[in-house]
Amino acid sequence: MATNNDNKKAIYSIFWIWLVITIVGVLISIKAPAWLMPTSASSTMHLVIETIVVFSVAAAPVAALVYAVALYALVKWRWRGEGVPPDGPNLRNNSTLTAVWIVSSTMLTIFLLIWGLAALAVDEGGGNGKNPMTVDVTGQQWAWSFTYPGTHVASNELYLPVNDKITFNVTSKDVVHGFWIVQMGVKVNANPGVSTSVSVTPDKIGTYDIRCTEICGLYHAYMVTRVHVLSDAAFSKWLSSQPSRA
Amino acid sequence: MSRVRAMVIALVSIVSGGIVMALMGFGLASAAPHQTPQYAKDLGMTTVTVGGKSVSMKHVALTIGTYPDSMFGVHGAGGGPHPDWVSYSSSNLVVPAHSLVTMTINQYDSGGPLNNPFFANVFGTVGGTATIDGKVVTKVDPSAVGHTFTLRGIPQNTTPLFVSVPLPENFATDTPLTIGEGQYSKPVVVTFSFMTGSKGVYNWNCEFPCGGSRIGQFGEAMSTYGYMSGTLTVK
Repeated sequence: MATNNDNKKAIYSIFWIWLVITIVGVLISIKAPAWLMPTSASSTMHLVIETIVVFSVAAAPVAALVYAVALYALVKWRWRGEGVPPDGPNLRNNSTLTAVWIVSSTMLTIFLLIWGLAALAVDEGGGNGKNPMTVDVTGQQWAWSFTYPGTHVASNELYLPVNDKITFNVTSKDVVHGFWIVQMGVKVNANPGVSTSVSVTPDKIGTYDIRCTEICGLYHAYMVTRVHVLSDAAFSKWLSSQPSRA
Repeated sequence: MSRVRAMVIALVSIVSGGIVMALMGFGLASAAPHQTPQYAKDLGMTTVTVGGKSVSMKHVALTIGTYPDSMFGVHGAGGGPHPDWVSYSSSNLVVPAHSLVTMTINQYDSGGPLNNPFFANVFGTVGGTATIDGKVVTKVDPSAVGHTFTLRGIPQNTTPLFVSVPLPENFATDTPLTIGEGQYSKPVVVTFSFMTGSKGVYNWNCEFPCGGSRIGQFGEAMSTYGYMSGTLTVK
C-alpha cells in the first residue's frame, strides 16, 4: 500500500520529468519547423508555419504529461514479483484534479479553435492593391497545365509575378487531383467538372515546387511541375515572349 | 516464459516480418513489366543552337508507332492479354544524355476531341514545332487528335524535361496495310526533335483519353504499364 509520502515523491518525480520533456518539446516545436518545413514564399505559408509552431507549443505540455506518467509508471511501478500482480488500491474521486483537467483542456481547445478559425478567415494575401490576377489550373493524369485568362498564353510550368495577389481556378479533366504549391502553403483539390478558387500572394522571387496530393493513378508520383515567381518586369517579359496557344 | 525466451520470440517475429515485407517488395518489383529496350539509332554528330551559341552534340533517332490495338509491337503473339487495347509499339526508350533526339511517330489510330485543348499544342521541341506529314506545325486541331506523346516528370536531382506533341487523328481512308498480325491504314507521320539533358529516367504517356473504362476514359490502356505510357531512359 502506497503511503502519502510515496505519493508525494511520485508526484514530484513526475513533475520534474514533465518539466524536462515540456522544455524539450517546446524547443523542438519552435526550432523544428525551420529545419523541416520548406522555404516560405507567401504570407499564407508564414501563417501555416506559425500555426504549426503555436499548436505544437500548446500541445507540448499535454504530451509531456502523458510521457512523464508513462515513463515513471514503466520504471517505478512495474511489477517485479512472480506471477500475476495483485490489484492496486481503489481510486478515490479527486474533484480538484478533475476540475483542473477539464478547465485546462477546455481553455486549450478553445484557444486552438479560435486560432484556427482566425487563420482560416485571413484573406489569402492582400496583394498590392491591384485586382487579383487569375490563372486557370487544370490537372489531368498526369500533368498540370496553366492558362492565363485575358491572354492566349498556356504553359506547363507556372509563372507568377511577385507581390501580386493571384487567384487560381482549379479543375480536373479526369479524376480528383490535389494542387499543392509546396512553398506557398496552397493546397486544394482539383475536381472534375468543378472549378475551385484559391488565392495567394507570392512574396519571394524564386522557383518552387508544385505536386499532386491525391493518389491519381499510374504516374501520380511524377505529376510534378514548378512555379517561377518573377519580378513584375520579368513576368511581363515572359508573358509577351510566349506564343499564342489559343 | 523466461525473459530471454520472450526476447528471442520478439526478435524472430520482427526479423520474419521484415523478410516477408522484403519478399513482397521484390515480388512486386519483378512483376512490373520490363519491355525490351528500344535504343535510339546513332546518326553521328550535329550542331545545334543553344542559348544563342552553336553546340556540337550527338544526334540520334527513334521511330515508334501508335496502334488501335496491341497486335503489333511488344505484346506478343495475338496481342498479349489485351489485344484490343490501343498501344504504342514500344514503351521502353533509351537515348543518350546531352544529345539531339529526332523522333518519328507513325500514328495509325483514329481519334476525336481532346478533353484539354492545351495538349493540342507542341511543347518542348526544337523550335517549338513538329512536322506532320511534311508540314511544320505548332499546334493541331484539338477536335481531331489521335494521341499525344507527352514526356514529363522529373528524374531524381535533374532538371525537368517536358515535351508534348499531339498526334493527329488518322482518318483511315486508304487500303489497310498488314503489319505484324494487325491491319492498319497508312500512318500519319509526326516528326520532332528535342534535346536531352543529364542522365535519368523520365516518364511519358498519352494525354488523349483513349483508355476506355471508368472516369474520363483514362483507364485500361492508359492506366497500365506498357500500352499508352512508358519510360525514356537518358543514359
